[in-house]
Amino acid sequence: MADPIVVETAGLQKRYDTVEALRGLDLRVPAGSIFGFLGRNGAGKTTTIKILLGMVRQTGGCATVFGLAVDNPVASVEIRRRAAFVSDEKDLYDSMTVDEMIRFTAGFFPKWRADLEQRYLQKFELPGDRKVKALSRGMRTKLALLLSLSRGAELLVLDEPTAGLDPAMTEEVLQALVGHAAAEGLTIFFSSHQIAEVDQIADSIAIIDRGRTVVAGALDDLRENFRRVQLVFEGEVPTAAFHAPGVARVRRSGRVLTVLSTAGAELVLDRARALHPVSTDVVPVTLKEIFLESVTSED
Amino acid sequence: MLWYKSWLDTRWRFLVALGLLMMSAAGIVLTYPRVLALLPLVAANDSGGALGQRIREAAALARDFRSYIWSQWFHGNARQEWTIVAALLGTGGLVAQGSRGALFTLSMPVSRNRLLAVRAAAGLGEMLVLALTAGLLLPLLAPAVGERYALGDAIVHALCLFAAGAVFFSLAFLLSTSFEDPWRPLLIALSVAAVIAMCEMVFRGLQPYSVFTVMSGDMYFRTGRLPWPGITASLAVSAAMFYVATINLARRDF
Repeated sequence: MADPIVVETAGLQKRYDTVEALRGLDLRVPAGSIFGFLGRNGAGKTTTIKILLGMVRQTGGCATVFGLAVDNPVASVEIRRRAAFVSDEKDLYDSMTVDEMIRFTAGFFPKWRADLEQRYLQKFELPGDRKVKALSRGMRTKLALLLSLSRGAELLVLDEPTAGLDPAMTEEVLQALVGHAAAEGLTIFFSSHQIAEVDQIADSIAIIDRGRTVVAGALDDLRENFRRVQLVFEGEVPTAAFHAPGVARVRRSGRVLTVLSTAGAELVLDRARALHPVSTDVVPVTLKEIFLESVTSED
Repeated sequence: MLWYKSWLDTRWRFLVALGLLMMSAAGIVLTYPRVLALLPLVAANDSGGALGQRIREAAALARDFRSYIWSQWFHGNARQEWTIVAALLGTGGLVAQGSRGALFTLSMPVSRNRLLAVRAAAGLGEMLVLALTAGLLLPLLAPAVGERYALGDAIVHALCLFAAGAVFFSLAFLLSTSFEDPWRPLLIALSVAAVIAMCEMVFRGLQPYSVFTVMSGDMYFRTGRLPWPGITASLAVSAAMFYVATINLARRDF
């Protein structure tokens, strides 16, 4: 049986005055997955997350978390009871100390895990008596993570969790997330434009561009199905012949035609044989290449 | 925990207001002997016109401690100070918090209505404490100048201050759900207060219906009756503004 879906959006739209932030976004996040939500700056990642958590109202389409409609105020409270969120700004209360922040947050969550709180306090070496405003960006991120990981949530929603962190701190944060997800069996939904970290920890992804989903699926399946086929012709390059379902991009550069297939190489190779290329080369595609191909304009 | 957060957000404003109001009230009480000493000079004053009339009225009120406290404090300094304090306590909140914790607050399993209700209740609670503390200081300090001030008078005037002040509190509170800085709500609320005060001066006929007349407990001072219509109207206006604030906040994107 397929994993149940924790987050689902269909045709989700958001318009800010004249700006269309989301133009019909479709997402399905399976339970228990580490879901990487990729997109360029301004692609609509933060807007999507805010809609899911009831901070922004959608202007069209629908979205559910745990099967609950995000635009229902009562359901939205229940969603936030079962989900934890870390914003990209890691905004916390500057006037509180680390201990006060922990006590404040724990008060809202009956399933608060004191054992995890203690574990992460030690692991992250957070000074309990220090004011939040005196914490470094890295420490602030760690505190925000501690507050999220300890609340016994079924879903962690992280908006650019490693933004502004040095590589060592990034690694520490990612390892903590993976370890926590494995131990607790929760779903992690995290947005990023750092391909490497998504590649490192995600098992499913969605790439969005200009408010729409352009690629989505299990990362292993995408790696299996995405193929770049490079064909060299002697004469005129017939680009039109390759536009078909399962072909994401067709690019021409001189006598070289590069076809990005999302459904393996066989379809493209079948068509290419009829056109007699002088050489054919099939190469697997990295996540970075999938991302770049998905979010850059076609020639 | 939301109550604690509301307290943290407003504690400095509350403490500054407490200090200001207590010093002001104490100053009025403790200077009474000096005012009494000046009364013979006022009696010799024969200036005519509106100014002379005002001086003679003030002198007449100062002959009795209860009247002196009303004219100098509840009808005088307290009205201005209290309006500023009420507007100041009404500012801030979720919208003004911006990147200093608004998203964190919104990620808690709490409805926006509850967030707003707790903040409003905390602010009104602080106002009640301020009004009662400043009011009760009067009967406490009166013996220091050889006078007595009735506890009942202090409580009634404190309630009048509270009810009328709630109008400016809720106005600033409502404006704070629209503006992302604390200054515009404060300035607009104080500007509205200034306009009301000017209208009251220019159109004398409006005075009985003014929020400042309710604030000073004018009716209670003159007749001994509580200004229920004014108190009810003030609280109704405040409730309406709180209601609009909830609608405003519910529609807002963060």
